[in-house]
Amino acid sequence: MKVLFDNVSKHFFKQENRTLKELIPSLLKGMRPGEFIEALKNINLKFNDGDIVGVLGKNGAGKSTLLKLIAGVTQPTSGKISINGKIAPLIELGAGFHPQLTGRENIYLNGSIFGLSKKEIDSVYEDIVKFAELERFINTPVKHYSSGMYMRLGFSVAVHVPFDILLTDEILAVGDIDFQQKCIDKMISFKKQKKVIIFVSHHLETVSSFCNKGLVLDKGKQYFYGNVNEAIEKYKELL
Amino acid sequence: MITYFRNLYIHRYLLYNLTSREIKSRYAQSILGYFWILLNPLFQMLIMAFVFSFFIKIPSSFNIPYSIFIYTGLLPWNLFVYSITSSTNSLVENESLIKKVYFPREIIITATVIAKVYDYLLASTVLVGFLFYYHVNISPLIFFLPLILFIQILFSLGLSFLLSALNLFYRDIQYLMNSVFLVWFYLTPILYPIEMIPERYRFVLQLNPMSVLINAQRRTIFGGGDLNLNSIIIAILLSFGIFYLGYFIFKKLEGLFADVV
Repeated sequence: MKVLFDNVSKHFFKQENRTLKELIPSLLKGMRPGEFIEALKNINLKFNDGDIVGVLGKNGAGKSTLLKLIAGVTQPTSGKISINGKIAPLIELGAGFHPQLTGRENIYLNGSIFGLSKKEIDSVYEDIVKFAELERFINTPVKHYSSGMYMRLGFSVAVHVPFDILLTDEILAVGDIDFQQKCIDKMISFKKQKKVIIFVSHHLETVSSFCNKGLVLDKGKQYFYGNVNEAIEKYKELL
Repeated sequence: MITYFRNLYIHRYLLYNLTSREIKSRYAQSILGYFWILLNPLFQMLIMAFVFSFFIKIPSSFNIPYSIFIYTGLLPWNLFVYSITSSTNSLVENESLIKKVYFPREIIITATVIAKVYDYLLASTVLVGFLFYYHVNISPLIFFLPLILFIQILFSLGLSFLLSALNLFYRDIQYLMNSVFLVWFYLTPILYPIEMIPERYRFVLQLNPMSVLINAQRRTIFGGGDLNLNSIIIAILLSFGIFYLGYFIFKKLEGLFADVV
């Protein structure tokens, strides 16, 4: 078992009157200064080796919050999460890239953000550059990169980090058709290695062909979790 | 404190990379590049030396030219202020990282502060040049300088942890700091020797760690009496206290960073 959610809820406190000028009159009028938003309610999940989970839900259903909780960047309000294994967040590619630094420097910077040592990055460095097809530009500051090159580099670093659990958020639309095919091939190879992949997407065809499990979230509630095709049917009921 | 240093050790390669990103990126697109690190405090010193020795006559002490006197106060002061203002903004600037990847957030703060220490060391080379030029005698106490500097860094880290965490919730902190530092600057004997303050008010300066530390740094360089151990012990205790408190609050709030940034 790689990921376990035991009755997990996450609330946000949304404060509407943040400045003093707004806060004081609203308190005088007896209004509450803010409200709790339940982003996720009583989620119970278990992901095992080889689970490729498609996460479906409308905007605001809690999909991003779920990924953030698994990535460990935010804490649950109640309940318990246990994670066994290394996580590769393939969300917001190139987060942490610095425009003034070269492609090479950014590979090392990004690799270390994912928790790799210099040695570990050295050993995958060539593969990263080759996969991103950036051999000619690797010593150029990334601010001169096209947005496609930037995304390719971000994707390439992220998928060359050794991991057990991969989090993705609509990222298979990187680069041109050829590169997209390479990304899909890469994902299929992860699937064969029995990695856990959590795949947030609105693209139902991709979800049904790629995933074997489906999770449907509706306004923070766990609407369905199980077989991917059933999940897609359930999701369609919500629309 | 042990947790803190252990985290730094585990994530040393990330710390190294974030620090070098901070250093490399700053003057990347400028002709003079790193020279700005030397030029800025130098100009600052020249202007202050001009104003405060021509218009308002402030005496120097330690038998050294007033310009060197100011410079030895400005360097640690700039280190202190830039460390804190940069780290306070650093969490906000690294929003995309904070929302996506988990690693102990104190690495970001520490990297920012180390980058400022690097600036300080570069700017100190100018001071060494001055000391040679004016044939200033160096005190044997100079070996204590790294220790005093370390205490100052601990104090700065503590405040940085506290303020950077609070600034994520209320950005008022970063605006408030400008005014606080302005007052604090004049409450610290940078432009004037501590002896100018009447004896009975001097305890105020003793409670200001920056005042004690800057005075101690001057003494380790120029001699002129022993280090005032009582004041230094107060400063050390305050610095450790602030470090513990800042780090404790920082770690308590860390889990909420991604929600509020």
